[in-house]
Amino acid sequence: MNYQGDELLEMLAAEYVVGTLVGAARRRFERLCSVSVPASAARGRWEDRLAVLALQLAPIQPREQVWRGIQEIIAVQTRAPARARSGRRRWLPLAAAAALVGLAVWLGPRLLTTRPATQAVTVLGADTQHPQWRIERSADARRLMVLTFGAVSANAQQSFELWALPGDGKPPVSLGLLPRQGELARVLSEAQSMALLAAEKLAVSIEPPGGSPTGAPTGPVIMVGAVKTS
Amino acid sequence: MSVPEPSSDELEQLLARCAAQDSAALEKLYQRVAAQLLAVVTRIVRRRDLAEDALQDVFVRIWQQARQYDQIRGRPLAWMISIARYRAIDMLRGQRRVVSLDDGDMPMQLIADGASDPVEESSITHNALQRCLEILTAGQQRCLVLAYQQGLSHEAVAASVGHPLGTVKSWIRRGLQSLRRCLES
Repeated sequence: MNYQGDELLEMLAAEYVVGTLVGAARRRFERLCSVSVPASAARGRWEDRLAVLALQLAPIQPREQVWRGIQEIIAVQTRAPARARSGRRRWLPLAAAAALVGLAVWLGPRLLTTRPATQAVTVLGADTQHPQWRIERSADARRLMVLTFGAVSANAQQSFELWALPGDGKPPVSLGLLPRQGELARVLSEAQSMALLAAEKLAVSIEPPGGSPTGAPTGPVIMVGAVKTS
Repeated sequence: MSVPEPSSDELEQLLARCAAQDSAALEKLYQRVAAQLLAVVTRIVRRRDLAEDALQDVFVRIWQQARQYDQIRGRPLAWMISIARYRAIDMLRGQRRVVSLDDGDMPMQLIADGASDPVEESSITHNALQRCLEILTAGQQRCLVLAYQQGLSHEAVAASVGHPLGTVKSWIRRGLQSLRRCLES
């Protein structure tokens, strides 16, 4: 397909911005924009033009915890690159200090125990103020670490199963059952670590004891957390 | 309806400070635009808790991508609105896949809600888009606004307005073509 055709490019950009360009075509256009200035300029023009439709909506004030959650995520993310990029020593102490303050305030003292080889994947909870599980992985995604905040209230007929949700419509992949308290570390299979690396989100479903009998979630999905991009 | 739009200059300066890792600038940006962005994502994902999760992601992305903001991407508010809409649309489409595993828990009644939603009047009267929208047919206008504001696919718009899929696709396409001609004239 010749994307350079002006009319076609304009219409692809317009339908992308409106949202009616879906699935693989949507992803293709995103990739095109990352390499083509005319495509990303066309997208920018339509974003500008149509933004007035978004401004018609009456504002909704977010609850206070939303901003605190953002601060927490930014503090955690600032910590990871601070270790990796040794070339940026000038801001490293500052970033490390900021990350420590963020961690101390928001994640609790127990997380200050460093686990150098791990990186945060997501925090799952009823909302950002009530985290239930913190999910981390090793850099190569072959190991999964789970930290439980407090104890999970559930009856004996329930277990909580963790799923990696790929962003492309493929079915969820089980990452195993979640602990009801304390910490857990587990080695993932090849398929699980691939799924974890590709996941856009992790989800928790309620399953019978021992986990889903079918290999796919059978009970309600109670939590979904976006995977942090590093 | 809408708060006064923050000035592009101010938002650009705040984005530049975010690019330099100034988190106070992100907080200020949040105070300026978070409520508008929450309105945008809530209309699409239809659930307050999911919308606030999406809003968090949106601000983390703004923080991470502030360095890449460029005027080629349009006005800064439009750029941020786009980040919010795309995040919400991804969440809506991803969430439907998750939820479809569990039919009892469909969180949103898009179709019923959409059908009764009037096309709202804009508070921004001097806008070229608004003027150009008025030259569209009622059907084109309604389908376009539904798709944009609610993140609906062609199929969902068709179900919402009760017209065949082919008709809706062509209304949206022709509506966009007319808008472009009007805006560029």
